Amino acid sequence: MYKLLKNQSQTGLADCVQRTSDGACIPFDPANTDYQAYLKWMAEGNTPTPADEGTQ
Amino acid sequence: MALTQVDQGLLGTNAQYTGFKNRIINGAMVINQRGSSSYTINTDPVYTLDRFSLGQGGNVNSFTVQQSTTVPTTGFKNSMLVTMGTGVTVAAGAYAYLRQAIEGYNVADFNLGSSTASPFTVSFYVRSNVTGTFGVSLRNGGSTATYCATYTINAASTWEYKTVTIPAITSGTWTTDNTSGLELYFDLGVGSTYSGTANQLNTGANYFGVTGTTKLAATTGATFYITGVQLEKGSTATSFDYRPYGTEFQLCQRYYQNLGNVGVSALNATGVVGFLFPTLMRATPTITFSYNGTSNAIYRFSDAAVSTLSSPTIIATSFGMQNMYAFSPASWASTPGYGYQAAFVLNAEL
Repeated sequence: MYKLLKNQSQTGLADCVQRTSDGACIPFDPANTDYQAYLKWMAEGNTPTPADEGTQ
Repeated sequence: MALTQVDQGLLGTNAQYTGFKNRIINGAMVINQRGSSSYTINTDPVYTLDRFSLGQGGNVNSFTVQQSTTVPTTGFKNSMLVTMGTGVTVAAGAYAYLRQAIEGYNVADFNLGSSTASPFTVSFYVRSNVTGTFGVSLRNGGSTATYCATYTINAASTWEYKTVTIPAITSGTWTTDNTSGLELYFDLGVGSTYSGTANQLNTGANYFGVTGTTKLAATTGATFYITGVQLEKGSTATSFDYRPYGTEFQLCQRYYQNLGNVGVSALNATGVVGFLFPTLMRATPTITFSYNGTSNAIYRFSDAAVSTLSSPTIIATSFGMQNMYAFSPASWASTPGYGYQAAFVLNAEL
């Protein structure tokens, strides 16, 4: 399971995703193998939890 | 002293005897940043001693990995010990493997997949209580081409030195960037679905085992020690490339960094904290941090407060792979210059 995170100091758009099992922050870098696993999870029809509003 | 003799046989056009001879990192099994004394392999993959991962799937029972001090009498300090669980007849889609993926940059000079490809040689010391012919494979990062080979363990519970030369691989797609360029697999119990034919390049499916070889996973409690793993350019196995410990450690840090407690300072009023990574990482890393064992917690020096961040994030992509920034929540906004502390783990493994 994953949760999108918000980066308010830059674009305000989610630029990494949190792996809820261990709280790890996974960057949206195609060379990152955790991000590749996230994309595979998405391709299987799953959807991440949206980023919290108004935090950070 | 004058140089009186050069062994011309050691100056072959393909061989390399200086510099980064061994493309395997931590081949002597000395670096263990993750720090566990025993790793349970019950999924795929599990990262253990630095740069080495193992995988388990299907009906193969879980097994363990430890850093061992049982070594061959050739100057090594450590080995990796794999101890299998209850033995099974490995099902077609099941597997147990030991793997190291080599970054494409580090094998670019092999010219894999081209007419100018170089042969390369894998060598290692191995000891097992199971004898037989075992499988070793070299797969591309895209899992579409695998050269399969074998080696033989002749005597039980005895260290043996093995060499396997892979002829020039002139087809297939082999990347030469910061992604996986070449993956070394030891078949500990890979089923037929994932097994290719020995002594040839197998394409068209994902192979990381070798057909007809001895499966360690079939023997309850089978042990498998390995160290001195080397993969080098050319057709000849040469002596193990003992690199300085610090050098080997930094090579490992390109893929994984267990930094322990790091002091960081706030960069702005929203509580952004940052620090420079000790070593440039292969890719923007996955980051976890904790304080006193609490995930996503960070300690503030000014008032000794500890806060668990609900949504820590990173903006490393904005500042390059060398930097990491964690956001504190608005309720924990800070003053620039305030100091914080947390233990960080950075993961950019292949």
